Amino acid sequence: MQVFNAFFKVLNKNKGQLVLYVVIYLSITLLMGNMAQDNEEQVFSGVSLDIGVENEDQGMLGEALVEYLNGSHNLRGIPDNKEKLQDAMYYGEMDYVLEIPKDFSEKFKNEEREGLLEGTIVPGSNSAYLIENEIEGFLKTAAMYLSAGFGMEEAVSRTAEDMEQEGHVEFLEGDDGNLPAGYYFFQYIPYVFITMMILGVGVVVKTFQNKDLSDRNKCSAMPFLKQNLQILLGCFSYMAAVYVIFMLMIGCCMAGYLFTIQGFLSAVNAFLFAVCALSFSWFTAQLAKNVAILNAISNVFGLGFSFLGGVFVPLEVMGDQAKKMAKYVPSYWYVIANHDIQKVAGLSDAGDVYQSFLMVLVFAFAFLALGLVVNRMKIRGR
Amino acid sequence: MFFRLYKYSLLQSTRDRLALFWNLIFPIVLGSLFQAAFGNYMEKEILFQQIPVAYVAEGEADGNFTELLKILEEENEMVTVEEVGRKEAEKLLQKGDVQGIYYNGEPQKEDGDKGQVSLVVAEQGIEQTILQSVLEQYGQNKSTLLQIAAKNPAGLPEALALLEDKQAFVKEGNIMDAPTNNMMDYFYSLIAMNCLMGALIGLTAAVEFKADLTPLAARRVVASTSRFGVLLPDLAAKITMQFFYIMFTIAYLSFALKVPLGERWAFILLTAMVGSMLGVILGFFIGVVGRSQQGIKEGICIVIMLGSSFFSGLMVGGMPRLIETYVPVFNHINPATLITKALYSLNMYGNLAQYAQSMGKMGLLILTLGIGAFLLVRRERYASI
Repeated sequence: MQVFNAFFKVLNKNKGQLVLYVVIYLSITLLMGNMAQDNEEQVFSGVSLDIGVENEDQGMLGEALVEYLNGSHNLRGIPDNKEKLQDAMYYGEMDYVLEIPKDFSEKFKNEEREGLLEGTIVPGSNSAYLIENEIEGFLKTAAMYLSAGFGMEEAVSRTAEDMEQEGHVEFLEGDDGNLPAGYYFFQYIPYVFITMMILGVGVVVKTFQNKDLSDRNKCSAMPFLKQNLQILLGCFSYMAAVYVIFMLMIGCCMAGYLFTIQGFLSAVNAFLFAVCALSFSWFTAQLAKNVAILNAISNVFGLGFSFLGGVFVPLEVMGDQAKKMAKYVPSYWYVIANHDIQKVAGLSDAGDVYQSFLMVLVFAFAFLALGLVVNRMKIRGR
Repeated sequence: MFFRLYKYSLLQSTRDRLALFWNLIFPIVLGSLFQAAFGNYMEKEILFQQIPVAYVAEGEADGNFTELLKILEEENEMVTVEEVGRKEAEKLLQKGDVQGIYYNGEPQKEDGDKGQVSLVVAEQGIEQTILQSVLEQYGQNKSTLLQIAAKNPAGLPEALALLEDKQAFVKEGNIMDAPTNNMMDYFYSLIAMNCLMGALIGLTAAVEFKADLTPLAARRVVASTSRFGVLLPDLAAKITMQFFYIMFTIAYLSFALKVPLGERWAFILLTAMVGSMLGVILGFFIGVVGRSQQGIKEGICIVIMLGSSFFSGLMVGGMPRLIETYVPVFNHINPATLITKALYSLNMYGNLAQYAQSMGKMGLLILTLGIGAFLLVRRERYASI
C-alpha cells in the first residue's frame, strides 16, 4: 500500500488549510444556528418593529397613539443627529420615525388633519407601510368618534378600547414556519465539502500528475492499475474521513436530531453531496495546471456553487433569473433536499427528497465523465 | 530614469497571471455572485409589494369583508386576492404562492367560531403582520360603528362618511433619496478587499528590493543607482496597477451589475487611489519586516487581507456595526473598514465630514506604514548574504 500511504503523506502537508475550513464551517453554523433559535415562537404575534418616537403633543391623543404603538412595537428615542439616524435606518435598527407636533390634539380636533404627523421612512419599504396603516387606522377611529359627536376624552378612551380587538390568526397546521437547528448544521455543508475536496484530493492528484513523478512511477514494478486503484482508494478514504468527522461534529452538537428520520435523510443527503464534491474535485484536478490555480478554482467554485445554490442566502430572496441558473448547480438540489427533509413524516412520503438525491448523483456522474474526457484528451495530446 | 523604470515595472506587473486572476477575475466573480444572491433582496424583502392572499368564503360568509378585500385590491393596491376552495388555498400557502388565507364563514379549525373572519399564515413576517392588521382593523371598525350606533346614532352618517374618506394623517419625509439597505455593505467590502489585495503586489516589491530575500534584489542592490531611485518607480507602478484593477472592479459593479455606488465619481476614484496605496504600502511594510520566507509573508498578507475584510462585513453583513459596540477602536484602524466606511459615507451622507475623517485615518495609516518601512530599509548594508 505504498501509493496509498504516499497519498496521505502529501495530504498531511496541507492539513493547515483543511483545518481552517472546518473552523470556518463551525463558526458560520453556530452563528446562524444561534440567530435562528432566537425567534422561535409557537403563536403568531406579528412582527415588532423599531419605531423612534418624539411626542411633543400637549393633548391626550398623542399619548394614546404612542401607547397604542407601544403595545405591538418597540419604541425608542430619536438619535440626536441626522447621520446617526441614517445609520440606524440603514442597518435596520430603526424602521420608522414618528414626530408628533405640539398642537397635535388641538389641530386634530379642529379637523386640520391632513399631513398632521411627520413620519420618516425608508422609501417604499413594507415596514413603513405596516406602521402607517396602523397609525392611520387608529386616527381614523378617533376621528370617527369625534365627528359622531363624542368629546375628546371619550373618543380617545373608546378608540383605545376598539384597538384591543384582535384578529384571529393561526399557523397552517403542521407548519409553524420554524426550522430545527439541525437544518443549519447541514445547510453550509456544500461550501466546506467542495473546498475541502478540491484542496485535499486536488492537491494530491496534482502531485501524482507531476510529469517527472508520474514518469518515474510508470517505470516501477507495481502495475499501473494497482497504483491507480490505491489513489482511488485514498480519495474515497479521505472523503469518508471528512464525512465522518462532520457527522461526529454534528452528532456531538445535536445528537437528538441525527437519530430521527430527518437526521437520517440529512446524513444521506450529505453523503451523496460528498460523493459529488469528490467527483467534482477530480474533474477540477484534471483542469488545473498547478496548485495555485487549484486554489483559485476551489475559491471560485466553492463560493460560486454556494451562492448560486442558495447555501448562504435563501433561495426565496434570489431573483428569478438567478434561480433558473441555480438549477444547473448541484448544491441547489442539496439545499432543496435539505429543506424538504424537514417536512417529511416518514421514509415513504419523501418522494421529492429522493428526486433531489438523484439529481446530485447525476451531477456526480457528469463530473466524473467530464474528468475522464479531459484526462483522455490530455494523455492523447502528449 | 524614473519613467523608464516605472514603465518596465508596469509591464512586469501585467505579466503576473495569478495577480491578474485575484485582482480582476475574482472580484468580478464574487461581485456577480453577490448580485445574484442579494440583488433582489431589496425588492423582495424591503420594498412593499402587493401581497398575494387566498380567500375562502363558505357558509354564512360576511359580505362586508368580501367588499373590503375588493377595495384593498383595486383601490389601495395592498393585496391581490385569489378566491379559491379550502384545499386549493392550503396548497397555495404551502407552496408559498400566497402569504396567507382569509377564511370567511366556516373557520379553519373545528373549534373556531362560526361566522367570523380568520387568517391562516405559514410564517411570521411583515407581510403576514400587514394581513393581520387588515383583519384587526376590520374588527375594530365594526366595533366602532356598533358603539356609535348604540351610544349616538345621530352621528353614524358622519362617521361612515369619514370611514370612506381617504385622508392621510401622516406626511412622509424621506431621510434617504433612494431606498438602500445594508446589503450594500457586501459590495463596499468587496472593493475594500480588492484594494487590500495590493498587499501581495507590495510584498513582491519588497522582496525584490531586499538583498537578503531574493537573488534578483541582490543584483539590483549592487547597481550604482540610488536605492530609492529604484524603489520609488517600482512602488508607483504597483500602485498604478492596483488602481486600475480597482477601477475595473468598480466599473463592472456599477455599470454591468448596476450596483448603486453613488454619483460622486471624483471622490470614489480618490478613495480607490488611496485604498490602492494603503494596500500596496501595507504589503511593502510586511515585506521589509523580518527575514521570513516569501511564502510565509504571503500567508501573513492573505490572513490580514481576509481578516480585515471579514471585519468590514465581507462575509457577515453589519459586522462593523457589531464591532462599533464592542471594540470601537478597531474600526478606526482596520484598513478594510476605513475604505468601506468612506464609500458608505459618500453614498449616504449629504456632507463630506465623515468621508474626510475616514480618508484622513487612511492617510495616517499610509504615513505610519510608509515611515516605518522607510526607517527599516534606509541605509541597509549587507556584510554577507
